[in-house]
Amino acid sequence: MSASETVVSASPIAAPPRLLRAASRRFAWALGILLLALFFLIASDQWLSLANFTMLAAIAALSLNVLSGYTGQVSLGIAFFMAIGAYTAVLLGGDPKASFFISGKSVPGLGLGLSFLIWLPASGIVAAIAGAVIGPTALRLKGFYLGIVSLALIFIGQHIFVNTVRLTGGPGGRSFPSPAFGEFNFSRQNDILGVAVTSNQEFFLLILLILVLAAIFVGNVMRTRAGRAFQAVRDNETSAAIIGVNLFKAKMGAFIFSSFIAGVAGALFASYTSYIQPNYWGLLLSIQYVAAIIVGGVASVWGSILGAVFVFALPQIFDLLSPPQTTGSPGLFGIAVGDLNAVVYGLLIIVFLLFEPGGVIGLIRRIQLLSLRLNHRLRKGGELTKASPDLEPDAQFEVESSTLSASKGTEMFDE
Amino acid sequence: MSEAAPNVTKPTTRPTGTPLLSVTGLTVRFAGVTALSDVSLEVLPGELFAVIGPNGAGKTSLFNVLSRVYQPAAGSVSYDGRDLLKLKTHQVASAGIARTFQNLGKFPFTTVLDYLLLGRHTRMKSGILRGGLFVGPTAREERENRAYCMRLLELVGLARHAQFLLGGLPFGLQKRADVARALALEPKLLLLDEPVAGMNLEETEDMAAIILDIKEQLGITQILVEHDMAMVMGISDHVLVLDFGRVIAQGRPAEVQANPNVIKAYLGEEFGGPSLTTTPASVNTLDEQ
Amino acid sequence: MAFLIQLCFEGIALGCIYALIALGFAIIFKASEVINFAQGEFLLVGAYIVSAGTYDWGLGFFPALLLGVAATVIIGILFERFALRRMIGRPIFAILMITIGLDTLLRTGVIIKWGPNVRAAATPFTLGGGFNVGDVHAGNGVHFGASELWTIAVTIVVCILLFFFFRFTKYGLAMRATAIDQEAALATSINIRFVYALAWGIAGAIATIGGVFLAIQSVGFDTTLGQTALLAFPAIILGGLDSVVGAVVGGILIGLTQDLTGGYESHFSNILGAGFHDIAPYILMIIILFIRPYGLFGTRKVERV
Repeated sequence: MSASETVVSASPIAAPPRLLRAASRRFAWALGILLLALFFLIASDQWLSLANFTMLAAIAALSLNVLSGYTGQVSLGIAFFMAIGAYTAVLLGGDPKASFFISGKSVPGLGLGLSFLIWLPASGIVAAIAGAVIGPTALRLKGFYLGIVSLALIFIGQHIFVNTVRLTGGPGGRSFPSPAFGEFNFSRQNDILGVAVTSNQEFFLLILLILVLAAIFVGNVMRTRAGRAFQAVRDNETSAAIIGVNLFKAKMGAFIFSSFIAGVAGALFASYTSYIQPNYWGLLLSIQYVAAIIVGGVASVWGSILGAVFVFALPQIFDLLSPPQTTGSPGLFGIAVGDLNAVVYGLLIIVFLLFEPGGVIGLIRRIQLLSLRLNHRLRKGGELTKASPDLEPDAQFEVESSTLSASKGTEMFDE
Repeated sequence: MSEAAPNVTKPTTRPTGTPLLSVTGLTVRFAGVTALSDVSLEVLPGELFAVIGPNGAGKTSLFNVLSRVYQPAAGSVSYDGRDLLKLKTHQVASAGIARTFQNLGKFPFTTVLDYLLLGRHTRMKSGILRGGLFVGPTAREERENRAYCMRLLELVGLARHAQFLLGGLPFGLQKRADVARALALEPKLLLLDEPVAGMNLEETEDMAAIILDIKEQLGITQILVEHDMAMVMGISDHVLVLDFGRVIAQGRPAEVQANPNVIKAYLGEEFGGPSLTTTPASVNTLDEQ
Repeated sequence: MAFLIQLCFEGIALGCIYALIALGFAIIFKASEVINFAQGEFLLVGAYIVSAGTYDWGLGFFPALLLGVAATVIIGILFERFALRRMIGRPIFAILMITIGLDTLLRTGVIIKWGPNVRAAATPFTLGGGFNVGDVHAGNGVHFGASELWTIAVTIVVCILLFFFFRFTKYGLAMRATAIDQEAALATSINIRFVYALAWGIAGAIATIGGVFLAIQSVGFDTTLGQTALLAFPAIILGGLDSVVGAVVGGILIGLTQDLTGGYESHFSNILGAGFHDIAPYILMIIILFIRPYGLFGTRKVERV
């Protein structure tokens, strides 16, 4: 994770710094694992479902953070790459006997019925290939131009999906395969060693596993050479190139890496919901993820997870609070749920960008900083010890650590 | 050329040898401006070579050509026996040329240590896959390079600030960190772009000491672009003066200082006197890049 | 042949609307370097308010039009003053994101207030039926619809007015100066705040007009008008973000593309798929960006180190 987390350190550090001291960190992790285990065992289906959707969203948010948060590539195209993953999954793992009823005719669906151990990785790989194809555009186009091309990608993608009926089931959609090991199919309750495990519980473990793997992987990348290159590209491309970063490799790498994760997220999501229509993979979905990383914390692994919690758990909670209805009937405060969500996304984006661009993570770090400072002052007997002005880092820069609001340099000198 | 030929002083006691960097007839034009016009120079290995001139003289343009950010309209550049103009921007670092930046604030949210590690980018190998898996060799690479960067930081007196964000550092320390980052590349040639711009006397002396250390202890060839005449004259081996993109003088510091063309360029026609130990009074207009 | 001309005519009329949106966008961008993702939504808000004003609130068309313009102008100015001011110096991505936030807010705001039902478009007077050239019923004539003619006419008028405004009025000059160099403009005591407000105001007003005409052309409209307005972005990109001429050219090109492909796509629907005309503009945009990454008339940014 970002090295900007620690504040004042007394001695030279040869290893990446940590958020908490070792002992309290271990305790926190142990507690976390315990809580997760408890949740797994006793949570109701509704709550498990909420958790599953949130974790899926976290995986996709990680993908977007890799591309936009860490590497600074403006992209609204995440929904497209998720769709590629989902449709690869259904192509390889879907029911060979599927058929759709379109315009009065029965159309056979595509599906090879292969194992989940094949379609899940494949969904990532094919999405990554798509990312590799789109990637070079980022080399020629900058900023808003790239953003609108990614927008075009969404629309063109949707058009293609709706029209490749045999693969996607047309506008009506189709069902997606569940992970299965022989008789053990995730879509239904199974017995493990005599204990009944529900479908939601099975998915919970699977999604959690993938999320943890993805989070660790992304975190590792970002604190090693490749991650530093990504962030340098985001902050100041030309300077990064002068320092030695190969911009082509870096941007391509970011696209491929992020698309891989998005593809896997899309495939898992489709598998979990088990039925999706092609118009699902649209602009609103992408905007939701953008909101998630802005709210949670740009360029931060925990930020991706937190952002998913805020942006994707919220609507579910609204759902639980208001009578589940479609647009047009009174929902919460007389507003239909779907619309309320969208309003909230818009507001969240605006509010966070204005007041807390570091997202919730930024907020947490600000609080940590305050308490650390307080601690520091108290330990020194309340006296302001400042050996030299250099020792205390400038307040305003400590907090907004890894946000997109990094580079001020280029704007001032562009024409 | 209709005006009088510039008085280019030939250096009398400069050591001979194969130059590390050789620029011939370099001309750079953009946006209707000729930034550099028929510039030629040679930099010998281990030398501390200074490029000075009034604002807008073309100094940073020279660096930008060497960094391969600008494409020259004419001329050739030979570095270490190779054609530098054939390289792409990111390949320049791999070739062993490191550069500091005139304008800071490019990476305000990177820590000092991470910034140096970024400087090690071409010296390290792990990519996305190995970085993500963080297997043995990658972990070792990280450890070793971090240790190396920490030692570098101790060398420049920034070890305490390893975890500080660049943006939070005082300006002078940011500049120092930038030099350390350039050194992290283990360069053969170091391009210093106005390293003491905006510094007070004490900071300037610190930086001058570092630059001399680099020359004497590390033996790295340096090209220094600067305004601060006192510092430049105090430490350089060889000085080249640019004015309006042309070379108007070069030689040992004392010779250049005494050169009437140089004095005219900096102070205008009225002042004809020889000794020039103060910073030129040129108004700091918007710098030509 | 008549069919082709018909399509071209309608395409130009549609393109005029995109041109209006793109113009407003370019004005804001040139004046303040802000990328207003919500520009198309101003069109939507404007159209709805004018329609609501005329039919629901019993105002006449022109008062309703004024109300619509006022509303979008106020939203724009308020947003600029309270949201964008705070974002000065932040990277373009962040500013883009915040306008995306505004876009989402506006769009859903309209949906919440007026629901998904189709509304009648407000017109100033019965526009009449336009005129025909040739024998339309026999299939070799062209119908020049009134609403399209009005759209084109009004667009031309707006362009002329803007031309004179920028060329010859004090504030127009101030805006152009700011567009070229903000710092220098500040130094000459131009009130930058006012220029920004003016830019957003003009953009809002133009968008409302565009919205009214788009609604008129669609006869009945609903919130999918916003979707159509999104097509202004390919127009903006095509033309070049900071080019006023590019905005108009881009808009017309996109309108033409949409209608021409729409007219002929039935021949190709097997290969291209149904509804191809909705994405043809995006494809055109991508093709043009390949050749000119800054749009047809956009200026290339020079990177300084």
